[in-house]
Amino acid sequence: MSLLQRSSLRYLTQHPWLMGLSVLGVALGVAVVVSIDLANTSASTAFQLSAETVTGKATHQVVGTTGSIDEDVYRRIRMEAGVQLSAPVVEGYATLQSSDRTFQVLGVDPFAEGPFRPYVRAGGGGGIDLPTFMTRNTALLSQPTAEQAGLQVGDTLRVSIEGRTIPVELAGLIEPESERTRRAIANLVLVDVSTAQALFDQTGRLTRIDLIVPDGETGEQMLAGIRSALPEGARVQRSETRTETVEQMTRAFDLNLTALSLLALVVGAFLIYNTMTFSVVQRRGLIGRLRALGVTRRQIFRLVLGEAALLGVVGTGLGLLLGIALATGLVQLIAQTINDLYFVVSVQEITIAPWTLLKGALLGIGTTVAAAVAPAREATNAPVSTVLQRSTQETNLQDLAPKLAGAGVGLAAVGAAVLVLTEQSIILSYGALLFILVAAALLTPMAVVAMARGIRPVLGALTGVLGRMAARGVVSTLSRTGVAVAALMVAVASTVGVGVMIDSFRGTVVSWLTQSLQADVYVQPPSLVFRRSDATIDEAVLERLRQVHGVASSHTVRRVSVESPLGPTELVAVEQGPETDEVYQFKVGEPEAVWPDFGTKNFVLVSEPYAYRHDLAVGDSVALQTDRGMQRLPIRAVYYDYGSDLGVVLTSRSTYERFYDDRGVSGIAFYARDDVDVDALIADMRGAVGGMQDVIIRSNKALRETSLKIFDRTFTITTVLRLLAVVVAFIGVLSALMALALERRREFGVLRATGMTPKQVGGYVTLQTSLMGLIAGVLSLPLGYVLAYVLVYVINKRSFGWTLQLSVAPEVLGQALLLAVAAAFLAGLYPAWQMARSSPALALREE
Amino acid sequence: MTEPAFGNGSPAVSSILRLRGLTKTYREGESDRAVLDDLEATIDEGEFVVLMGRSGSGKSTLLNLVSGIDLPTSGTVEIGETDLTTLSETERTLFRRTHIGFIFQSFNLISTLTVAENILLPLELSGIRSGQAEEQALSILERVGLGDRGDSFPDRLSGGEQQRVAVARALAADPLLILADEPTGNLDYETGRQVLTILTDLVTDLGKTLLVATHDRMLLDRCDRVVTLHGGTLHDGAPDFLESSSA
Repeated sequence: MSLLQRSSLRYLTQHPWLMGLSVLGVALGVAVVVSIDLANTSASTAFQLSAETVTGKATHQVVGTTGSIDEDVYRRIRMEAGVQLSAPVVEGYATLQSSDRTFQVLGVDPFAEGPFRPYVRAGGGGGIDLPTFMTRNTALLSQPTAEQAGLQVGDTLRVSIEGRTIPVELAGLIEPESERTRRAIANLVLVDVSTAQALFDQTGRLTRIDLIVPDGETGEQMLAGIRSALPEGARVQRSETRTETVEQMTRAFDLNLTALSLLALVVGAFLIYNTMTFSVVQRRGLIGRLRALGVTRRQIFRLVLGEAALLGVVGTGLGLLLGIALATGLVQLIAQTINDLYFVVSVQEITIAPWTLLKGALLGIGTTVAAAVAPAREATNAPVSTVLQRSTQETNLQDLAPKLAGAGVGLAAVGAAVLVLTEQSIILSYGALLFILVAAALLTPMAVVAMARGIRPVLGALTGVLGRMAARGVVSTLSRTGVAVAALMVAVASTVGVGVMIDSFRGTVVSWLTQSLQADVYVQPPSLVFRRSDATIDEAVLERLRQVHGVASSHTVRRVSVESPLGPTELVAVEQGPETDEVYQFKVGEPEAVWPDFGTKNFVLVSEPYAYRHDLAVGDSVALQTDRGMQRLPIRAVYYDYGSDLGVVLTSRSTYERFYDDRGVSGIAFYARDDVDVDALIADMRGAVGGMQDVIIRSNKALRETSLKIFDRTFTITTVLRLLAVVVAFIGVLSALMALALERRREFGVLRATGMTPKQVGGYVTLQTSLMGLIAGVLSLPLGYVLAYVLVYVINKRSFGWTLQLSVAPEVLGQALLLAVAAAFLAGLYPAWQMARSSPALALREE
Repeated sequence: MTEPAFGNGSPAVSSILRLRGLTKTYREGESDRAVLDDLEATIDEGEFVVLMGRSGSGKSTLLNLVSGIDLPTSGTVEIGETDLTTLSETERTLFRRTHIGFIFQSFNLISTLTVAENILLPLELSGIRSGQAEEQALSILERVGLGDRGDSFPDRLSGGEQQRVAVARALAADPLLILADEPTGNLDYETGRQVLTILTDLVTDLGKTLLVATHDRMLLDRCDRVVTLHGGTLHDGAPDFLESSSA
């Protein structure tokens, strides 16, 4: 190690507090980014693993139009097309009453399974009686899973599916051959295909037929033979299609979470910039001496960058470990959100992807070094002949403040231009947002000077000379205070921006729910994905409910996923009720022209996100795979819908029945007679269907409350990320204040020597830090509003296609101010205490 | 008006420092103030020259120009065969590193390095191998009477000791020219005398060229020549105010 490096290292170790806080700042920033990435990756890996588990070695699948096909198709493929490498599959999700976990139920034919899923063979070889497995309601579980749940062969599993609970006997255990298999089958309940049909109430139907088709011409011929044997509506697709589709579903969600997680790192970068600037400013004398001794500018530059890199490496290392720990908590939040919004996924453990860790490391070290470039340049630019006094440096920064502000305005303009000129890119939108954040930071020094000067007389009048000194101190140490205020402002503005976005979103959803929930009572079977309640209500249950005394009228909803050239599409078929025209508010389209034709003519309405995602408008058409072949239906209106960011295609029940054989009902809405109490009606309904399929019967109000509860739950992770950014900012302010306190030790020593009591010194420091918090809080309000505006009107639109009403609640702004002042006040307590108790004699001597 | 100062005014074969037409002006408000005005000077190899002048007369500016830390507004600074004013910033730094030793009024030791490391630093920067460098550093440290303090950090040393370390550091890399800017300015009379004795003894023993800016009269008896900076130019001999105050 060279003497310069040794000198550098000693400087770092002589300031453990500052270096520790910087390392912590980097560590937290990296931890947040890594944990979100790990949690996302884990959820996606869990899904992929479960998809691979049920897909096995199948290369292709035969699927139907609305999620199932007649089992006769399997016979035709095997007998008529002569394809031996084919296997029937019935698949779905269930919960076991003895466990909170969601399991994937896979129904297979043991005789056809051999080439497809090796673990089934392994399980089959474990002394399982095939005739029993195929004739009785029996199931196989992974051996470690059964052990975890305390289950033994012979025990009865109570399997709950869409409100029905069926007893199934545990007939055997599958022993995983490898770690990968162990993870893959951890959430699997393997049953015979006939058992699965009984469980899912799909007698005579299959979810799909798996195929192993060789490559090349033989394969093509085989596929052609299969296609010719398929009835209308059924089709062959590659096995990977399903996983790819699912990945597309959560892409925007993942991207937005990642962007939000980067916020903590951006705030962390301010912290590093602050620390490195401090270390350079504090060592200007030392650097000047080194330069006088013949150390070149390049050597000084490398030295400062080297220090930053060291902090970056240590911070990143800690951050990676912390990120892994944090990910175990976050993954359940993310999995919950995916389950609420998109599809069923059960994540039991974190997948530590090396690429994620590498990205985190590069990002952490890269950000740290990038944040240190400016201070390093500043260090090399220190004129060696005149070792600058602090006041000279501060005057320079004050002189520089207008130029920085000018650069800020320019950068903000670039950000705005990027937003305006780029049409759909979410990444560029976030890039523009980063420009705006940095622009605001550049404007901060000038704003701090102006505000501190403005407030000085007021503070003077309120608290005397201490107040005037505090205000003056903020300006005279602008190189420190400016960055600290900017870091806090960015963090608080982000919480304001995200908070206003969530409030606006919530407000919009509340008014949408009020509008769209017009009936008195809603009934649906329990569903594992809240926003996609596509389970089927038993016909007997429907009949009973319709006959309950007090029901005036009802209309049904069918929700199915159908294939389309645009990908899997959620198709909703509704019976037109008396208030249907009020339920669906049109963004584009003429209600007077649409509703009279709704039941009679074949057309669809599409939700706003669907139109946005696929660039569709009124007059265009949507092609849907139906039981009568591919049908192209014209779009007559685009309506507001906040239920699914993937979008929905809406049609009338009669149109649906014209093209699909399915007669199932996913939900039903009831209107109570005027003279009937809704709560009493609900009680009667529950009584009427007691002992039958378990369905959820809710009032209008209860459904609205549940929807909002789910809404709030999906934003929990966002709130956690916001808080983490504030924690990093808090550390930034603490670090800046510690640096200031250290730098001004002599000044405080002089103040103490000239008669200021420790209490007064403490009060002075606290007053100054609170003032910094107040300035940061005030500055964060306009920036927060701009962020909210961009999030609501640009990023949300580009990510999900929703039109939201921007609404700013005064309490959000009040909270922001309070947060900024409280964070700064708390961060100032320790430095204030330290300064107040320092010995004036020691402080003066140290100089 | 140009006025030949010390030396014979023409480049001698043995001259090590030549200043020609050296001018340094600073901007003060709307006008320029010349601190050095068309200054001429020469110092021969092995010569010990004392530079005097009132506070603010430009002594430090002159030393900064001679060391290449700063650049003149016009004129040349030649050390040996090299004109510093033609060099880039980095080249001047590299030149300074190997050819000039500098002693400051406020010691300017590197607080994060030990005494021995402070002396080793110029050697390491000059690329001298560590074994040889350590020997050299230890030897020079012994010469300034601090052989037992090599592992101490500067803040554990008295002012006199710190300045002795600075003297050792300035001489460590065997420079062509040693510059000292008020080396006793921060020391009491007695300690200052001790430091100057060590400095001058070492310089004489090693045959080095020394230019010291000082107010200290003690050096007048030991130096080869005295020059005074006044009105931006150099004048031979000690300034009047010193003569009168010492009378």
